[in-house]
Amino acid sequence: MGDTNSPDTSAPAETPSDAELSSGSESRRNALVSVLTGFLSFVIVAIPSFLAGAFYLDPILRRKKSGGAAGGGALDGFIKLDATTDSLPDDGTPVAVTVKSTLDDAWNRFKDVPVGSVWLRKQPDGSVIAFNSICPHLGCSVNYRRSDDDFFCPCHTSSFDLDGTKTNEVPPRNMDELEIITATDGEPGKDGKELWLKFQNFRGATEQKIPV
Amino acid sequence: MNALMAWLDNRTGYKSLMHEALYERVPGGARWRYVWGSTLVFTFVLQVITGFMLWSAYSPSTRTAWESVYYIQNEMTLGYLIRGVHHFAAQAMVVLMAIHLVQVIIDGAYKAPREINFWLGMVLMMIVLGLSLTGYLLPWDQKGYYATQVTTNIMSLTPVAGAEVQTLAQGGNQYGHMTLTRFFAMHAGILPALLVAFLALHIYCFRRHGLTVHDENHAPETSFWPDQVLKDAIACLAVLAVVLLFAIFKGAELSAPADAAVKFDAARPEWYFLFLFRFLRFHAVESIGLVWGAIVLPGVIMGVIALMPLTHKFLGEFGHTLNKAFIWLLGAAIVVLTAMAFIEDRNDIDHQAALAEAHRDGGRAVELASGPDRIPVDGAVGMLRRDPFTQGPRLFAKHCSSCHRYNGHDGRGMLVTEKKKVAPPTASDLGNFGSREWMRSIVVDYAAHLSPLKNAGWFKDAKAKEEAGEDVTYLNPDESEMADWSGYPESLLSDENSENLDALVEFLYSEANPGYIPADVKEREEWVNALAANEQLAAKGRAVATEGAWAGDLEGTSCADCHTTIGEDFVAVSDDDADGYPTMAKYGSAKWLTDFIRNPGAPRHYGAKNEMPAYPPQQLTDEDLNLLVRWLTHDYLPSDVPDYPSRLGDLPSAGDAAADSNEADEDATEGQDLEENAGEEATEQE
Repeated sequence: MGDTNSPDTSAPAETPSDAELSSGSESRRNALVSVLTGFLSFVIVAIPSFLAGAFYLDPILRRKKSGGAAGGGALDGFIKLDATTDSLPDDGTPVAVTVKSTLDDAWNRFKDVPVGSVWLRKQPDGSVIAFNSICPHLGCSVNYRRSDDDFFCPCHTSSFDLDGTKTNEVPPRNMDELEIITATDGEPGKDGKELWLKFQNFRGATEQKIPV
Repeated sequence: MNALMAWLDNRTGYKSLMHEALYERVPGGARWRYVWGSTLVFTFVLQVITGFMLWSAYSPSTRTAWESVYYIQNEMTLGYLIRGVHHFAAQAMVVLMAIHLVQVIIDGAYKAPREINFWLGMVLMMIVLGLSLTGYLLPWDQKGYYATQVTTNIMSLTPVAGAEVQTLAQGGNQYGHMTLTRFFAMHAGILPALLVAFLALHIYCFRRHGLTVHDENHAPETSFWPDQVLKDAIACLAVLAVVLLFAIFKGAELSAPADAAVKFDAARPEWYFLFLFRFLRFHAVESIGLVWGAIVLPGVIMGVIALMPLTHKFLGEFGHTLNKAFIWLLGAAIVVLTAMAFIEDRNDIDHQAALAEAHRDGGRAVELASGPDRIPVDGAVGMLRRDPFTQGPRLFAKHCSSCHRYNGHDGRGMLVTEKKKVAPPTASDLGNFGSREWMRSIVVDYAAHLSPLKNAGWFKDAKAKEEAGEDVTYLNPDESEMADWSGYPESLLSDENSENLDALVEFLYSEANPGYIPADVKEREEWVNALAANEQLAAKGRAVATEGAWAGDLEGTSCADCHTTIGEDFVAVSDDDADGYPTMAKYGSAKWLTDFIRNPGAPRHYGAKNEMPAYPPQQLTDEDLNLLVRWLTHDYLPSDVPDYPSRLGDLPSAGDAAADSNEADEDATEGQDLEENAGEEATEQE
C-alpha cells in the first residue's frame, strides 16, 4: 500500500540510434510520472494514517490530571480519611482504609467513590505512616499477613516488612509510602487527630517510584 | 441451470477458482495429521460468528461492560451458549495453535522454501495471543481486571518506551472507560482484521508450496476434495463438540464486577499463560529482574522458534533435530510449570479462600442483578458496595474477627491464626447471632454461651487479680447473676416449662426481627420473610418475659425483674436511666445492635464490665456500620449463593486453648497475643 509502483517499461529493446530522442523523453516522462504517482499515493495514504495515529496517541498526547480532593491551603490535594490517629491500634498493626475521592474517568466524574486502599500504621512515636496497598511489583493487592506479621502479595509472593521494606527479591522496590498529614479541623498540626492523605498510584515494576 | 452456471463462470471464473481450491494434490493420501490448520480456520470462523453476536449486545464502559455481559450470559436467548462457545473456542484455538506449531516443526514444514509462511504463522500466533489477552478484560470482572493489570504492568517494562506503551494500552494513566473502548477496538476490529489479512497470506503461501508430505508412500496420491476435506470436517466437528460440551456443562465464568478498591487475591492469568505466571514466581527469576523473565526470555524463545528455518539451513538435518528437541523441551517445561501452578494453587489455602470469595461475590452480583432492583445506574459495582451480604463478611473480618468468629471463621471463610496456630476466639461466635438458637443458649446456658471470654487475656488477668484478693469488676460467665438464673436447668428445662421456654425464645427472636423486607410497597405485599417469627407463640413468650408466667421453681421470676425495658422499643437511654443490667429492649435488632457496637461500655449495655472496644464513626463509618448490622440481622435479599462453610470443627478445643495460653503466659511479657492487644487497645476513647 502506497509504495511507488514503477510502471512496467518492458518495451521491446530498441537500438540507441533508433528514436533516441523520443525514447529519452519518453523515459524521462515515465520517470516523472512514476515519481509523481508514488508521491501522490504516499500522500493519500499518509494523511489519514497520520490523523489516525495522532488520534490513537491521545492518551499520551493529552496527559490529564486525575481528580483529587479540592482542598485549600496546606492540604490542597489531600484527602481526609475516615480513620483518625486514635482509631489505629497502638501496637502498630496495619489497618486497611478505603480511600474515597473524586474520580474522573473520560466523560464521567464520579464523586466520593473508592479510588483505592491504603495500609495505615501507627508508629511507636505516635505518628502514622501510609502505604498504597497496590503491590509495586505488578499491581495486585498487598495483604497484611497476621501469621507472619508482614505484608504479603498473593499474586507473585512479594513480601515486605511492616515498615514497607521489601523482604524478598520479587518486588522491584519497597511499598509505596504516601504522604500523610495530621490535622485538627483541617489545620495541619503534629498533634491533630485527623488524617489527611495525598493519594497517588505509582507505576508498577519500576525500581523508582513514578507517579502515574 | 447449466447455462446459468456457464454464464456465471464466464463472468467470474468461479470454476477454476473452485478447482484451484479443491483439487490440490495430496501425495501419500489424505491423513489426520493434516487437519490442524483447517481446525484453526474453523475455530476462527466460530469466533467471528459468536463474536459478532456478542458485539451486538456488548457495551464497553466501566459502568456497562460487566452489566451487558451479565445480560448476555443470564438473560438473553442462548446467551450463555454464545458466550460459552466464544470463551471455550478461544481456548481451543490456543491449544490447536500449539499442536499446529509442533506438528509443523516435527514434519519440517518450516524448512526452505516455506520459511516465510512459517513466519507468517508466528505472526498469526501473536495475533491470537493478543486476541485472548484483550478479550480477557472485556467482561470487566475482577478476574479479568486484575489479571490484565499485571499484563499492562509488564508492558511498562518494554525497553525505551515502556510507560508510553502502557499508557496507550490503558488509554490513560489508569484503567477506566477508555481502557475498555480501546481493548474492544483491538479485540473486535484491529486484531481480527490483521488476522484475516495474515491468514489469507498464510493460506496463499501454503498453497504455493503445497503440503509438506510426511510419507509419500503412505497411500496412493489423492486430492484435497473430498478425502482430506472429509477428515478436516470430522476434526472440526470434534472441536465443535468439545467446545459445545464445555459451553453447556461448564459455562464461561463471570466473576464479580471489577472494582479497583476491592482487593482480589485470586488473580490468575488464563490457564494457557499459567506457565509464564509460574515461571515469574521463581525467586531466582525475580532476582535477575522482571524484565528478563517477563519480556526478554519469552522473546528469546520466540526468537529461537523464528530462527528455526535458518538453524536448518546452516546445520542441515542436525539443525532439524535440534529444533525438534527444543520444541519438545519447551513443551515439557510448559506442561511441568502449568502443572506446578495448578497443584500449588490447589494446595494453597489462602488462594482457595480467595477463589471461594470470588465465586461468592460473582454469584451474588448475578443474584442481585436479576433481583427485584435490577442493576442501578451506578452499575453493578455500586450495587455490591451497598450489599450487606457482600460487605458484611469483609467488615466483620476487618473489625470483629480478632475476638469474635463467625461460624468459626473470620467472616471470610478463613481461620484466624496467631503464631502459625489457630487462635481461640475471645468473644462469642456470631454465626448464629440473633437466631432462635442464640436466644435459647443465652437463656438456658448463659455461662457456656459466653465461655470464649475465658480465653481472653483480660479475663485471665482479672481472675488472677481476684484470686489474689483484689476487687475487680469484670464479666465472669460462670459467676454472673444471669448465669445463676440460667443455672436452674432442672426447672428451666423441665417438661412443665418447655412450652414457656419455646415461647420465650420465640418472643426474643421476634424482638430481634431478622430478615429482609423489600422497600418497594408492591413487592412487600407479596414478599414472604422466611425468617419471620411465629407471632402467636411470640405473644405468649412476651407474657413469660415480662410477667414471669413460669411454672415450678421459676414461678414469679421474669426477665423484666432485671431487664426492665424488655419488650419495649429500643431507646438509647441515658446512663442515669439505665437499670444496671444490659437492656433487652429489642435485643438483637438492628437498632439495638447499632447502638451496642457504638457504645458497648454504656451502662445500658455492659457498663463497667464491658471489654469490647467502642467503634466510633472514625473507625467504622455509619455506612459500614449499617452494612455490618444489616448483615448480622440478615436484612438483605436472601441468597442462594453457597456461603462460607462452617469452620467450627477446626477451632482449638478449650483444652488446647488453655495449653496455648499457658505457653503464652510463660513467654508473655507484653500481652498474650496481638489479637487481644488489638482488641483492647484499639480504642481508648478520650
